Amino acid sequence: MQWRGAVAGLFALLAACGPAAAFDRAAIAGWSCAGASGMTEAANALIFGVASASKEDAAWAAALAGAALDRTLKCGGAAPAIETPQGPVDAVTLQPGAAGDGSAPLLSLKNRPLFETARAAATLFVGATPGERSAALGALERRAASLPTDIFERAADAETDAGLKERILGAGQAALLNSPDMTKRVAAIERIAATPDRRALTRIAALKADPAYGKDPAFKAAVDAGVGSIERWLAVSNALNALYNGLSFASILFMASAGLAIIFGLMGVINLAQGEFIMLGAYVTYAVQEAMRAIAPGALDWYLIVAIPVVFAVTAGIGVALEATLVRRLYTRPLMTLLATWAVSLLIVNLVRVAVGTQNLQFVTPSYITGGRLVMGDFIVTWNRLFAIVFAAVTLGLTWFVLKRTPLGLNIRAVTQNRAMAGCVGIATRRVDMMAFGLGSGLAGLAGLALCPIYSVNPQMGSNFIVDSFMVVVLGGVGTLAGAVIASLGVGQINVLIEPLYGAVAAKVIVLLMIIVFLQFRPEGLYAVKGRRK
Amino acid sequence: MSPFDRRTFIKTTGALAAGAILPLAAPPLIQSARAAGTVKLGCLFSSSGTMANLEGRLNYVAKMAADEINAAGGVNGSTIEVVTSDPASDWPLYAQVGRQMLAETKVAALFGCWTSVSRKSVLPVVEQNDGLLFYPLHFEGDENSKNVVYVNSPPASSVLPAVDYLMSPDGVEAKRFFMIGSDYVWPRTINKQLKGYWKSKGIEESAWKEEYVPFSFSNFQTLVNQVRSFADAPGGKLVVVLTVVGSSIPDFMREFANQGISSSDVPVLGLDMVEADLEGLDTQKLVGHLNCWAYLQQAKGEANQTFLKSWADYVGKAKAPFRPDVAIDPMVSTYDAVHLWAMAAKKAGSFATPEVRKAFDGLSFDCPSGYKIAMTAENNYVSRGVFIGSVNEKQGFDVLWQSKDAPKPVPMSQYG
Repeated sequence: MQWRGAVAGLFALLAACGPAAAFDRAAIAGWSCAGASGMTEAANALIFGVASASKEDAAWAAALAGAALDRTLKCGGAAPAIETPQGPVDAVTLQPGAAGDGSAPLLSLKNRPLFETARAAATLFVGATPGERSAALGALERRAASLPTDIFERAADAETDAGLKERILGAGQAALLNSPDMTKRVAAIERIAATPDRRALTRIAALKADPAYGKDPAFKAAVDAGVGSIERWLAVSNALNALYNGLSFASILFMASAGLAIIFGLMGVINLAQGEFIMLGAYVTYAVQEAMRAIAPGALDWYLIVAIPVVFAVTAGIGVALEATLVRRLYTRPLMTLLATWAVSLLIVNLVRVAVGTQNLQFVTPSYITGGRLVMGDFIVTWNRLFAIVFAAVTLGLTWFVLKRTPLGLNIRAVTQNRAMAGCVGIATRRVDMMAFGLGSGLAGLAGLALCPIYSVNPQMGSNFIVDSFMVVVLGGVGTLAGAVIASLGVGQINVLIEPLYGAVAAKVIVLLMIIVFLQFRPEGLYAVKGRRK
Repeated sequence: MSPFDRRTFIKTTGALAAGAILPLAAPPLIQSARAAGTVKLGCLFSSSGTMANLEGRLNYVAKMAADEINAAGGVNGSTIEVVTSDPASDWPLYAQVGRQMLAETKVAALFGCWTSVSRKSVLPVVEQNDGLLFYPLHFEGDENSKNVVYVNSPPASSVLPAVDYLMSPDGVEAKRFFMIGSDYVWPRTINKQLKGYWKSKGIEESAWKEEYVPFSFSNFQTLVNQVRSFADAPGGKLVVVLTVVGSSIPDFMREFANQGISSSDVPVLGLDMVEADLEGLDTQKLVGHLNCWAYLQQAKGEANQTFLKSWADYVGKAKAPFRPDVAIDPMVSTYDAVHLWAMAAKKAGSFATPEVRKAFDGLSFDCPSGYKIAMTAENNYVSRGVFIGSVNEKQGFDVLWQSKDAPKPVPMSQYG
């Protein structure tokens, strides 16, 4: 109930006026176990009391709030207890000897942010490292409006790290947006406008309805300047977001279609099993992860890197085998290759289904690709997408190197340009075909690896990519890597630009229409291989 | 030329071998075996395609329920035989297989469909043949066929209570809503009704946004960007109402967590989200997001413990490729459906659809959810309890809220 929380907060605030008022630990711990409304009360008491609490009490507050969030708070016994690795401790004294039975209270949607704030506020005072305190400050800054005003001042007084102290004072200034002192308000506006995100814009733009906006010209100027500067930065960060999203989608498209560009371009084989090679790549990655879990659990985080050569070798091997047993026999009959590779794709999907099951595979997400970082304003770089982009760039570089700088690449290019002539000068075209098919399959496998941290991995995942990758290859021009790169960049970016305007469904339709129109005027695609075609 | 040279030998033996292997390798679309004194029940759940991971397990649940009934002596002196099929997540194929089952296999009732689009495609088939389809999913309502038994809840007793909870002071006092759905009938109808509901509560049209994505869409980057910027706009707390289905659910949740949005910032109400969708996700960062169903695995009560134990045993016995320790609402609904059918058939003393249908009035069953579910003569809806679940660290859902009793189902929505 709202008013009870408010009253509790008021009491805590009154108590806070006295020097180093102690928490009523027993009461707060008791509330934490007394259902949703009790928990609201407990969290408010913690938030409003922590600024004036003793160090010991603040540490206790951090422990209690943390226990409620991590669900190690147990409410079944005679007194509330906290489960720790060393055994249960009493929730009031933090001394061992309590009975840690019973169930953990469930945080409701409303109470979860309250307890997060309480934990962050307490950690700001008693966090062991500047890093911990800084993270706590980050959490508090977002909810500064709902905090007691003195919390930042007191935390800054207690802070020993100079840089962090500066930041805490800054956060404190930003919290004074509604202070009666006009200079403080103007300072707060400038402070908030320094982090130009959407939330800041909402807060400052709301001030235009403030009575002071009409009366005080300095205040009006500050608000207008703040809104203007945030809007400019927001425009930049939105553009960056769109670019980044387009680049990330393009990297996925490119990974999925690079192998196909080689296979389709070289042999004219329409390989409908390409998507399944992507899926196999993801499954091999999973196998590597499980193997590492068994052999070297300490290095499990690096399985994505370890898996790269394995995935390439396995999928390339399967590709070579497929070429040698099936595709080779059907070179003169393109329709049959199409049907045969489709059959192979169904076979692979169902084999995996029978052998592994239909569920999504459980991947460990390594720390280096979890989460993201707000770079500027609303522009966020998510690590898993960045991983895919870098991975695609490296793959592009290596593939380019193989095609342009190695004897195998020379042969592949020769056969692509003119098969009969290449045969005449002594290139073993059949062997080149096999190697190229292997290379293409290996690239598809690597695409599967890069997709593991982004998409769900299940036997059906491959079919999602086959249409997109053919689209890219045909648009780019059959058989050129550069074409595939430009086409995926274009398709990715256009998709991302259309999506917010007309929705994802329409974006797909519009992109496909654009490709159809484009191919009407340029049927050979963006880049056509020069030279005589068969 | 000798009459039996190498070439003809290879040809004939090859043909013979192929002839012998083919029927083994390609099982008929519908698997069944004939036996005396049996009554057949047909399952329309895909074990391949997008829905395989979700629908596949319902085949096993139907068999498990049938085994229970058979062990207790069967129905009307007959034992139940469950006939399964694979409509391969291909919506029109549901209708085709359904027709075949009703006309040729002569099943007494059909149990099946997950997506509303598959139910809509089977609907004319059961109506023409006067069959019975037990549909185990919560859905958009606005349909009332005498040939479909709606075992799960229409929006008035699933989605609306959940949205009410979010808008109440106990929830987050949600003021604004971002609806993201797959582009088909269920999300569109649900969202239409929600908008009508909000209008009736006096909420402005500017307070919501609505976006649709194609089936098995996975690139949610731009959409999550949009959610972030809408969340920071003025006007109060934002809630995402997620009606995407299949593999789009984990892909959305992953992107959501990666962009640093937690349930404290913007809670997601995933209307089709079940435990199976969280497989393979790090739920540490998703704690607190919501779903709403008529059953959650954490439901209290004896009946649930018994159900969970029988499922675990059955998975071991039947070597089902599904987790023995995960139970989702549609599984329980399918289980309820088979039992409800058996009770009705017993009460009617017949397997004929009109007789069974008449017997629905007054049926009640102790559902594993802990509620006593019941049917009336008014329609073929079943009254179920309402749960709101909250994602926990262990890829499951805790019960955040549950209704006092099973509300009476309202088939036709009054909103939109």
